[in-house]
Amino acid sequence: MYLNETQEQVRDTARDFADEVIRPVAEALDREERFPAEIYEEMAKVGLFGIGVPEEFGGPGFDTLTYAVVMEELSRGYASIADQCGLVELISTLLVRHGTDVQKKMLPEIISMRRKVAYCITEPEAGTDVSGIRTTAEKDGDGWILNGGKLWIHNAPVADTGFVLARTDKEAGNRGMSIFIVDLHANGVERGPKEHKMGQRASQVGGLNFSDVRLGRDALLGEAGRGFHMMMSVLDKGRVGIAALAVGIAQAGLEAAVDYAGTRKQFGKHISEFQGVQWLLADMAKDIEAARLLVHSAAVKIDRGHDATRSCSMAKCFAGDMAVARTADAVQVFGGSGYIRGFEVERLYRDAKITQIYEGTNQIQRMIIARELMKKGARA
Amino acid sequence: MKVIVPVKRVVDYNVKVRVRADGSGVELTNVKMSMNPFDEIAVEEAVRLKEKGIVSEIVAVSIGVKQAQDVLRTALAMGADRAILVDATSDVNQDIEPLAVAKILARLVEQEQPDLVIAGKQAIDNDLNATGQMLAGLLGWGQATFASEIKIADGSAIVTREVDGGLQTVRVSLPAVITADLRLNEPRYVSLPNIMKAKKKPLEERTVAELDIDTTPRLKVVRTIEPPQRSAGVRVSSVDELIEKLKNEAGVI
Repeated sequence: MYLNETQEQVRDTARDFADEVIRPVAEALDREERFPAEIYEEMAKVGLFGIGVPEEFGGPGFDTLTYAVVMEELSRGYASIADQCGLVELISTLLVRHGTDVQKKMLPEIISMRRKVAYCITEPEAGTDVSGIRTTAEKDGDGWILNGGKLWIHNAPVADTGFVLARTDKEAGNRGMSIFIVDLHANGVERGPKEHKMGQRASQVGGLNFSDVRLGRDALLGEAGRGFHMMMSVLDKGRVGIAALAVGIAQAGLEAAVDYAGTRKQFGKHISEFQGVQWLLADMAKDIEAARLLVHSAAVKIDRGHDATRSCSMAKCFAGDMAVARTADAVQVFGGSGYIRGFEVERLYRDAKITQIYEGTNQIQRMIIARELMKKGARA
Repeated sequence: MKVIVPVKRVVDYNVKVRVRADGSGVELTNVKMSMNPFDEIAVEEAVRLKEKGIVSEIVAVSIGVKQAQDVLRTALAMGADRAILVDATSDVNQDIEPLAVAKILARLVEQEQPDLVIAGKQAIDNDLNATGQMLAGLLGWGQATFASEIKIADGSAIVTREVDGGLQTVRVSLPAVITADLRLNEPRYVSLPNIMKAKKKPLEERTVAELDIDTTPRLKVVRTIEPPQRSAGVRVSSVDELIEKLKNEAGVI
């Protein structure tokens, strides 16, 4: 429709890959809670990491809309795998925008998954309110000494390199935080146990502890004191990515529900012939389409350099809520079967829940939408 | 050495094909189209030969409507060096028949002077399985159809063919026409960086008029019908009953 020929080609590649490589193993990955290194290796060969990374650093240099399209398709295969793509995208976007020439040399390793990364923001006392972080980096000669603890960090159990938000100035509030590139195999880095989650179980999540970790001069990303600002600068793209991921989960649920309704017979006919089931399917389809359009419109605003904050929050919030509600409908269409482990819709419902929580809770998204309304007026 | 790979734009293999209400053909409006899977295998084989250093240039050719450039872009993203689109009709429902396609390809072969043409063994839309053979005939070249393995050595191609009785190995002198069967290889996914690079590769447009080929149809489609619905099976109670039914009802033994 509004996608150009290249974007359609990218979508078809991601779709074929998801159908042939990811979706058939999603159930096993969920059950085993395993880091699918072999799939990431294949994805890297196809160039499905670092969608926005410019050609000079080994990426394809695609826009945010193309990124959103890829995220939806990968997530239709399995959300955990799309989330890895989203994580790599955020880190590589940070590096492209703020990294030194030396730091940017990491990009080819990161998008080929030879170097696994973690984005380390959250702490026990700093979830939604990032300004509460207690991890500190104190100046020490040329470099810094890092101390503190991070929680619920995606890839923490397996990552090679952490992008760690730490306080460098206790008095300066949001202007007193900086991002450091930390070797997670270094002395003083301790990994906590892997968390066992409700959904997206192939994503490895855990804690990290830093005690007197020595950081060199090159560890600082961008300017000292600009960490919070840099983090916020990639939030819009991050929200579009997670919104697209939520759409992908719901789309997989719709496809499963339509197939099932067309084959399952009760009272001598397919259950798709009952209006009650038809309305469930129709509501799923229309809400998925609405969420997808919100995601794409937010992505296009980013690509055109428009103010995208409100659109990105609306897309993330709507898509996350939609994914939870409509995967619940998918379970409903399946009836008892949908409640059984091993049926795709059971997993999709669990996978959907976190999309209301991570990348800014949907309550925060509503606060942002309201704040934008008060500040900039109600007109679109 | 230079290779030409013809690629056809067909209804995507995932699409459930429907017959048009008037029986004049299959429904192509709002239907996803993509590269004929056997042609994808042919492109993949050419790219592998290039990666081995045997082939130096791959030219992908598509004949039909202008929209066929999308399959040419896919071929370029897979690794073809340039593409030629022969604009043969503006009607998406018009199938250019194998003989006309073979004549157009023969004309391009005259101009391009390739050492090898690798084609798909047939297109999954009409399954005619004729173009490669006709092209070899028109050119007076050797042909090896239904290839499951291709080796190039000393000016010839050693091709393993999948035939009814098993596998047959033939040697054809180059230049030659080879058609690809399903097990020749497993085509790669086009990578995202290569999709970007393909946009910068040359895609030349030619016309049937300029090539001076008569594409007037020689075949007439009388009627297109859906295959009959599969009826439910029957449960038999004994082997004897099964044999009796196979003999007298199905008439297969």
